[in-house]
This record gives sequence, C-alpha cells and structure tokens, in this order.
Amino acid sequence: MITTMSLRDSLLDSAKEVFETMAFMALEEVADEQEGPGLENETLLGTITFKGDLEGCLAICCGCRCARTIGANMLGADPDEPMSDNDMSDAIGEVANMVMGALKARIQEEVGTMEVSIPSVVRGRELRNSLGERASKISVMVNLEEEHSVQFSLLYRESQA
Amino acid sequence: MGKSLMIVDDSATMRKIIMRTVRMSGLEFDRTEEAGSGVEALQKLQGGPVDVILCDINMPEMNGTELVKKARELPTCSNTKIVMVSTESAQDLIDQVMHDGADGYITKPFTPEKFQEKLTPLLN
Repeated sequence: MITTMSLRDSLLDSAKEVFETMAFMALEEVADEQEGPGLENETLLGTITFKGDLEGCLAICCGCRCARTIGANMLGADPDEPMSDNDMSDAIGEVANMVMGALKARIQEEVGTMEVSIPSVVRGRELRNSLGERASKISVMVNLEEEHSVQFSLLYRESQA
Repeated sequence: MGKSLMIVDDSATMRKIIMRTVRMSGLEFDRTEEAGSGVEALQKLQGGPVDVILCDINMPEMNGTELVKKARELPTCSNTKIVMVSTESAQDLIDQVMHDGADGYITKPFTPEKFQEKLTPLLN
C-alpha cells in the first residue's frame, strides 16, 4: 500500500503542476498545516471523490477572493473584473478535477483502479469534509503568489468492499 | 476553406479555458461552437458537420465515450476529427476511446503546445 508521505508528495506535485500549467501561478507549501485559509471568513470547498482499492475524497479550500483570482488567471481575465459565483465555483471544481486527475496518474500504478466522480463545490463558513473514523487525512497548506492561502486535503481509506 | 471547432464540456469555465488555449496555440478556426453535454453536442452535430470536436469524458447525461460512438454513427461526422480532453490518463481507457472512434487524446492539465502538437496533424 502506498505510504502517507508518498501520497502527500504526489498531492503537492499534482497541485503545483495544475496551478503552474493552467493558472500560471506559483505555489509554495507553508509550514502550518492545521489552519485553513484564514484570509477571509467565507470559503469555497471543492471536492471530488474516488473509489477503488483506495477510496476517499480530495478537497481544495480557499477564500472567495483567492477563488476569483484563480478563476481570472485560468480564463485570462482581469482579477479586478467582476466574476459570477457560478464561474468562480466552476473554476474551483475544475481545479479539484485536474488535481485529482494528476494525482491519479501519479499513484494509480501503486493503488490500482480508481474511479473518480464529477467535482462539486460548496460555499460557506467553517467548511469541513469527513470520511468517518477509519479514514486517514493528509493536509497541505500552500501560498499562491505569496498572497493567497489554499488548503488541499486528501481523506482516504482502504476499500471496505 | 476555414475550419470549424466544437468544444464539448459540462464546465463552462473549462470550455472557455480550452478556447483560450486553442487561440494561444496559434491554431485558427473560422467557426467555433460549444456544447455543455453530449446530448447537446449530438443535437448540434445532426444539424451540420464540424471539422474538429474537443470533447471531455466525464460528463453527466451522456459521457464523452458514448458521444464518440454516437457521433460516428452520424453521416455528418464521417470526416470529423474527435479529440478527447480529459483528466483521465489510464492507458486502457485511452485505448478504448481511440478504438471507439476518437482521433486523439489530450490530458488535463494541458498547454497550448500540446494542442498544437495533437491538432496540427489532424487539420492538414
């Protein structure tokens, strides 16, 4: 079975690949993993689930201003231009989708077949995702362009089937 | 004669990103259109052909692999080049969708160079 450290490295590498390629943004890991994006109260949580020998959920959580910047960069738009809530959510969903895809490509040889869902995004305060008691959790906090905080998390467990 | 392009993805944001990346790649299309699902794409394709379809795989209603199979049954799509654009990278899935009638495969995340590399041979 794949190790937690290996999964963590793969998650970070996947996030870097997606942000550098699709949003043209540099991403740097920060030490404090326990605190969520603290710049704003209201956050967006994009999640995507997977099942197979390993099952779980990948999540990206960031503030609305950060989500707007990510969306604008992906679309080549001005970050100060208004962006609809739908476009902002859609962008975060796509980031979750692509990070999951990049992660899957990195680990599928070790973990076998992974079936991935369609991403979903919710907006609110103090959002958390959970997978029950037997789940392991990896959390990576990063800075985007030294300005925005983004948290990636991976909840996973061996399949109960 | 100018070429036409259809982008099929359930995410409006991803359709815009793909359109932007195609433009950045230097490839030129005289006519572009979008579809938010496989069902919508099929309806549009029944009305007339396009030269190139860029198509997601994981979509609700009708996924990209189903769309490829159904599009290949349409007389209007006999010469259409279909390139899948997906986060899925499993080789057996890629082999299957190419067997079902796709002409190319691009994994997300992608670059303008990747679009140029995959689409240029299909357009000539």
